[in-house]
Amino acid sequence: MVFKAIAVGAIGLALGVAASGSILVDPPFGGVTIGAWRVAAKAGSIDADPYTRAALARSGEIPLALGEGLELVARVDSSGRALDRRCVYRVGSHTPAARYWTLSLTDAEGFPVDNAAGRYGFRSSEILRDGDGGFSVYVSEVVHSGNWLPIGHVDTFTLALRLYDTPLAATAGAGGIETSSVPTIVREGCA
Amino acid sequence: MNPGARLGGAALFVAAVAAAAALVHFAIVLLVPVVASHDAYARLAELGPPGATVALPRGAPGEKRFPWADPAIAASVCRFDLSAGPVRVKAPIGRAGFASISFHTRRGAVFYALTDRAAAHGWMEAVVVTPAQLRVLVAHDDEDNPTQDLRVPSPTVEGFVVMRAFSELPSLYEAASQQVQMMTCATEPPP
Repeated sequence: MVFKAIAVGAIGLALGVAASGSILVDPPFGGVTIGAWRVAAKAGSIDADPYTRAALARSGEIPLALGEGLELVARVDSSGRALDRRCVYRVGSHTPAARYWTLSLTDAEGFPVDNAAGRYGFRSSEILRDGDGGFSVYVSEVVHSGNWLPIGHVDTFTLALRLYDTPLAATAGAGGIETSSVPTIVREGCA
Repeated sequence: MNPGARLGGAALFVAAVAAAAALVHFAIVLLVPVVASHDAYARLAELGPPGATVALPRGAPGEKRFPWADPAIAASVCRFDLSAGPVRVKAPIGRAGFASISFHTRRGAVFYALTDRAAAHGWMEAVVVTPAQLRVLVAHDDEDNPTQDLRVPSPTVEGFVVMRAFSELPSLYEAASQQVQMMTCATEPPP
């Protein structure tokens, strides 16, 4: 009986710690998924959920306020497959309404990745556009024509889309972000 | 022991382990923000004293203090301590681009934000107060000559203010960086 109680405590502790470790890097609650993107609905606000608050305290991130803008993060492509550094992705061709937006590439923890081109992201105000105002950003390890966002030396990467001064709420669908409005992340081929 | 009782015992064991794991997990999630010794505020404390405006490091490879920082954004921060009196924050808007200030509690959560759309005469300005200071200020307000101050009550006595400025082009980052370092956070006499 005593042995069983100790076993329950030990295994419970191990499982509880294990479950907390990964969940606090990428909190699964308090956010919405829109296409390939996730947006933390109340990331920076006082009434964020306990998981988001704990993740914030651990990472040291200084969150954007809702009134400043929204941050959308993609760890998968539009087909739901994990982003793979051996593949070429085309991201485009439009974004939800915002005064400015940026698209940047980071490692899984949210830090820019070193690359020979010294390119970590694109701004809406500098990007090359096609004839009808749309854009394509090519995310790949090797040089690509057009707007090339290098993957750099990293195993897993994420894409961050930031919308500054947007009238949209951090929710999916009507009044918030329509799935049809976010950029698609299309896998074009893999090495 | 018959097989049924043995199965019941095993089920009880698994249930006890699951309950222990869940308890540990929830305890960790709720305790992390309280005990986190290296949250955003602690990281900011290493940059400078309260009241001083310091530049936040730009999002770049090798910069591992503040994750999810947009490389297109220049940011500065000042920590505030309201125990000596309200703190007046003034931040200049730029020639172009987007600028904002966000007000954070000791734990990093946003309790207020302003963008350059709310600026008057080229400045975003607000006075951070405790709820008690706010009551005294309001009690002494001159009804015939209403205050122009935007008073923002802070849920915590300590906290920090972040100013962000968007650079439309890489060559404009330096100007945005100088702009955010012009933010001032001055303690006023207690009301």
